[in-house]
Amino acid sequence: MSNTGALEIRNVRKTYPGKERDVHVLENINLSIKPGEFVSIIGLSGCGKTTLLRHIVGLESEYEGDILLDGKRLNGPSLDRGIVFQDHRLFPWLTVEKNIALGIVGKSEKEKKEIVDSHIELVGLKGFEKSYPYQLSGGMSQRAAIARALVNQPKILLLDEPLGALDALTRMYMHNELERIWEKEKITMIMVTHDVEEALYLSDKIVVMSAKPGRIQKVLNVSLPRPRDRAGHDFADMKEQVLEEFMLHTEHHFSYAI
Amino acid sequence: MLSPDKNKISTLFLGLLVPLFLLIAMELVGTSEFLPSQIIVPPHRIFAMLVDLLSTGELLTHLRYSIVRVLGGFAIGSGTGFVLGVLMALFPRIERVLAPLLIALNQVPIFGWVPFLMILFGIEEQFKIVFISLAAFFPMLLNTFEGIHGVPRTYLEVARTFEFNHVKLMRKVLFPAALPSIFTGIKLSLGISWMSVIGAELIASSEGIGYLIVWGRQLFQMDIVYVGIITVGTTGYVMYKGLEALEGSLMKWHRKNS
Repeated sequence: MSNTGALEIRNVRKTYPGKERDVHVLENINLSIKPGEFVSIIGLSGCGKTTLLRHIVGLESEYEGDILLDGKRLNGPSLDRGIVFQDHRLFPWLTVEKNIALGIVGKSEKEKKEIVDSHIELVGLKGFEKSYPYQLSGGMSQRAAIARALVNQPKILLLDEPLGALDALTRMYMHNELERIWEKEKITMIMVTHDVEEALYLSDKIVVMSAKPGRIQKVLNVSLPRPRDRAGHDFADMKEQVLEEFMLHTEHHFSYAI
Repeated sequence: MLSPDKNKISTLFLGLLVPLFLLIAMELVGTSEFLPSQIIVPPHRIFAMLVDLLSTGELLTHLRYSIVRVLGGFAIGSGTGFVLGVLMALFPRIERVLAPLLIALNQVPIFGWVPFLMILFGIEEQFKIVFISLAAFFPMLLNTFEGIHGVPRTYLEVARTFEFNHVKLMRKVLFPAALPSIFTGIKLSLGISWMSVIGAELIASSEGIGYLIVWGRQLFQMDIVYVGIITVGTTGYVMYKGLEALEGSLMKWHRKNS
């Protein structure tokens, strides 16, 4: 597996022309992401986190500053970056296997089938190859969307609130699955989320963004050993740290003594 | 709970209730001479005429004329509408040039064209085919255009991240996504073709179902007129249901989705 997938974001700035004055969506964004890192971008609605992600994947290509993937400035989408959207965006007229095969280019039919099969296996959708999206649950749809995004072996997988529409239990289950896929594929993953626990459970690094203009407020390294224990003391501590960034932490007025 | 089969039968029965009631009412009114039976012909006499016209082969000959005309006009009109709809959806410049004219032309009721077309094409087959083509053209054009133009941006973004070329974009995204709308166009277009062939035959013809109706009126044989009307309705119904069945088998995903 490739050991590339280093992302370097330098002085990125994005403004949309507004009626009275320009809207600063992103201001002075600087961030380095190492190959194979799992990074979460977290922030309130309107902080520009999705815009930043859309720039990395290349769906938005006009910006000031530089976004460099392995030293090359990004300009438009490319197969070396895959994306999973919040709404799975599977094509309703195609079966699961055809949806997953959609992005594969330059392979023979036999190779295509092998790639599709191995990715269906990877995301745990065996037995649902011939199902249509309307026959899948939310979690299963996102599994298929993840497989679809991985077929070209991208260097980076971008995840735009991929679990946002799932119920709490399915979500936790999908956290384990995402971690397993990340460890197996050894690629860089960047996830936009507004769920602090989700970010803590999965990430090596949490980027906290704030709004108006959208900028990076803080970058927190999470060094807790994996698999992480959601009920653990260290986990809770880290959670307090992140929530402090949003002024949402609970004040402890006294501590227990024996 | 009804089994699917029973459900189907009961739906069919419900659909026959009103026609059955009308037939009985007509029979009562017609036989009681409450209204002259030359105008409200009792259904048993209409049925006798139907059997008569069927056994002499007259009805089917007229029906064949009408159907051949419809198929010709429908093929030309909807084919042109489809191609132009695709071009207008794909190339905004073509749309900007043609849309104003086409919108204006679409405001002209189809029978408003008759005098003009008669001067240009006479009153023979050519006139009828052009007339039907014109009627079939607009619904197909509009629905094809709307279908392709309205493909969700979210699907197009998926295609962009996979770097689809133009051909792949058309085959894998635009056409399948627009197919439900295109099918609506086909159904409307065929329906209006069927109406206009009868119209054209009422105006000028010596064969066809429309002619049969005029001829019945001229002889003051209302039973022939009724047979003609019933044939038009039934044939149109069969065509519509046939297309619906085709649509259902082509787009299983669509019905389940909506």
